[in-house]
Amino acid sequence: MLTYILRRLLYSIPVLIAASFLIFMAVSAMGDPLAELELNPLASEETIANVREKKHLDDPLVVQYGYWVKDAVTNGFGTPLLTEEPIWNDLKRVIPHTLALVLAAELIALLVGVSIGIYSAIRQYSLFDYSATTLSFLGFAMPVFWLALMLQIAFTNLFLAWNVRIFYTSGLSSVDPGTGIHWLLDRAQHLAIPVMVLAVLQIAIYSRYMRASLLEVVNSDYVRTARAKGLHENKVTMRHAVRNALIPVVTLSALSFGALIGGAVITETIFQLDGMGNYFIQNLFNQDVYPIMAWLMITATMIILFNLVADILYGVLDPRVRYD
Amino acid sequence: MRRFTLTAMAVVGLVAMVFAAGGSAGTSQKPKQGGTVVFAAEQEPPCLNTALAGCNNTWTSWTAGTATRGLYILKPNFSAVPDIADGEGQIVKRNPFTLRMKIKQKAVWSDGVPVTGKDVAFTWRTFINPRNDVASRSGYDSIKSVSGTGKTVTVVFKQPFAPWKQLWANPLYPAHALTGTDFNTVWNESFKNKSGQNISNGPFVLQSYVKGQSITMVRNPRWWGPHKPYLDKVTFVFRTNTDTEIQAIRGGEVDVIYPQPQLQLADLKGQSGLKVVSNAGTTLEHIDFNAQLKGGMPLLRAPWFRQAISYSIDRTAMVKQLFRTLNPTLTPLQNLTYANSQKGLYKPHFEAYKYNPAKVTQIMQKHNCTKGGDGIWSCGGVKASIKFGTTSGNRLRELALEIMQAQAKNAGFQFVPDSEPSRLFFPRVSDGNYHMALFAWVGSGDPYGQTDIYGCGGESNWKGYCSNKVTKLLRDSDKELNPTRRAALVNTADAIMALNVPTLPLYQKPTYLVHKTKIRGIRDNPTNQGPTDNMEDWWVS
Repeated sequence: MLTYILRRLLYSIPVLIAASFLIFMAVSAMGDPLAELELNPLASEETIANVREKKHLDDPLVVQYGYWVKDAVTNGFGTPLLTEEPIWNDLKRVIPHTLALVLAAELIALLVGVSIGIYSAIRQYSLFDYSATTLSFLGFAMPVFWLALMLQIAFTNLFLAWNVRIFYTSGLSSVDPGTGIHWLLDRAQHLAIPVMVLAVLQIAIYSRYMRASLLEVVNSDYVRTARAKGLHENKVTMRHAVRNALIPVVTLSALSFGALIGGAVITETIFQLDGMGNYFIQNLFNQDVYPIMAWLMITATMIILFNLVADILYGVLDPRVRYD
Repeated sequence: MRRFTLTAMAVVGLVAMVFAAGGSAGTSQKPKQGGTVVFAAEQEPPCLNTALAGCNNTWTSWTAGTATRGLYILKPNFSAVPDIADGEGQIVKRNPFTLRMKIKQKAVWSDGVPVTGKDVAFTWRTFINPRNDVASRSGYDSIKSVSGTGKTVTVVFKQPFAPWKQLWANPLYPAHALTGTDFNTVWNESFKNKSGQNISNGPFVLQSYVKGQSITMVRNPRWWGPHKPYLDKVTFVFRTNTDTEIQAIRGGEVDVIYPQPQLQLADLKGQSGLKVVSNAGTTLEHIDFNAQLKGGMPLLRAPWFRQAISYSIDRTAMVKQLFRTLNPTLTPLQNLTYANSQKGLYKPHFEAYKYNPAKVTQIMQKHNCTKGGDGIWSCGGVKASIKFGTTSGNRLRELALEIMQAQAKNAGFQFVPDSEPSRLFFPRVSDGNYHMALFAWVGSGDPYGQTDIYGCGGESNWKGYCSNKVTKLLRDSDKELNPTRRAALVNTADAIMALNVPTLPLYQKPTYLVHKTKIRGIRDNPTNQGPTDNMEDWWVS
């Protein structure tokens, strides 16, 4: 297993290098990052020259890429184009915020989605099954930005109608959130709607996967054997069928978790959460290649890592799978 | 939108008009001491030092920038009035142009060190130091020397410099705290002096800066103004999404917002407990006609053709359509330099260009143009089909362009959409590769810098317009120290340009200040000084 993991990690290095090179070239092709500053006739020429020299902007793109690699490896991704604050400091700040959001959403989605999927499969073609199927398709079809805005408006209207603050509609915390349990409650009130928004789509996905997977498993020979041996139906389902049926869901969850570390861009932007997605959007608007590159590298690394985690989990859940 | 580049050195002269919703939250009640205001800032400052190119945006100035006041301050009517300066600066010599300014005796930094001529000299030296990555040195580079260590300071310029008050409306920097430090990094995250204490010469001092979330300013106990700041604290939370900040103020999560124009703002007008104030701002929307051969369209080189296009656009109807719910009293701008509330300065030279298809026909026929089967004019075999672009993604501009496209078609001109995202649009426009372009200049009410835009060979004269007379008038205006004579020079140039139409002014983009009615003393300042310029007067009822 260890050899397998090491081999996979080694394989991912050239993938990351190739990805970083291609992305650097693509982002640089957006144009001269100082073009907007240069348009201003009153902008300081010395400042523009200083930045050009500091960031090697007059060198060929390949040379610029080389300097970027050096900064990324030895200097925590360096600094943005015009400011001196290390990029790594920003990443250290935003990653935990995104993790909190994504973890909460994934956990809720897994619990609810898997439960719905199991019950739908057990009660196939029941009213519950039909309702869950309809709602999951609705969940798939609902655009995230629309749901986010609707929930924002709904909870604002609730506040105006009842004058009771159930959830906040933006930001990570209040101006004076307090400490301890007060802080925690305040943070939960701020994260509740974004978590709901993220979880809805995931619940729809997991419930459908779980239902389909369990329906396939409950008709397999080993489940029939377990029933024939006189095991209680609950035991047959939960101990024998569900474990195997979970394999695709767990794999899917690991993959989507890796992708979400890059930030739920729309959700974080609408709810003004200081996470990876919002960080990416702000820097994309500023056309600042250096923070964008850092974001992309972290995201790519997470996707590669969680692909590996998905493969490992696959082996843990399915004893037939062995890694050489 | 950069304070240093465009506050001090106005590219275009604009002024505010207080519209229907009115100005300050007037009250006869006595202001109360204490309380907190939460203000949603539409941009997060990249860093706190407003002077640096990397930190320099309007929201940096309006939030953390309130900790550093200047000798002068821009008022809502665009006038520059003494702030830290004790009375108006005196011109003591015209050759070389020499100013003497006094500093208020009471003016101190919050650590107790008096504000003196040393700070003025330090600020100047900091700006002209080529190692410092400041956004703009314009104006400071016209100064020969700054002397005076006490409460009187003497500034000698290399040549007469008309907008000197606007220059000194920029923040002062404390010599005692920053001498010997690296200006490019020292105040990026805080405003600390050498003992590690945040300092300010404004009514509030920085208490905390939580990146990605908020900036909190608390009352400066050593504020030297006429009264103690009423509020204990002002917290700026970052809400960069306009829809989100509108919901935040609807639901009472924030007390004040200052968003870009959005149709949803109209809903807030009817909500009890909220007040919406709208003024004509400093963003001057206009159409540039490219008069160059390279990249342009041959017919656009002729002033008569540009005049005909100007008669084919109904600016009044367009402004009404764009702002009928948000600011129904907004009218088109009729001057390229001054705005229509700058009494005594504003002359409506472009007023003649009202929608007039008959006049278009008259002009076109006079120049032997004929209409084709599609109703579009042709002159000398060249069809009046003109590429017209703006910054795609800007909903207001895109809508304005569509309205004008329909209007002009009725008069026989075909506008072919030619918009792109700003990062592609502006480099193309600055290369002169366009026919007609809709964009904006942002200014402070002072005409300084017009030579760059309209003078022959000006750095921002991408349209290629050249009139030696206009160029001379504008150059002279930059050196004319008498305000009346200066305005006359600028207006004479504007009258000539109204005949040549290198640019057609459209409107001043309105500003919107929305606040809870319980916040008193707050009022909009549509100049680049922004709505936080009188934070010391805010209070909660």
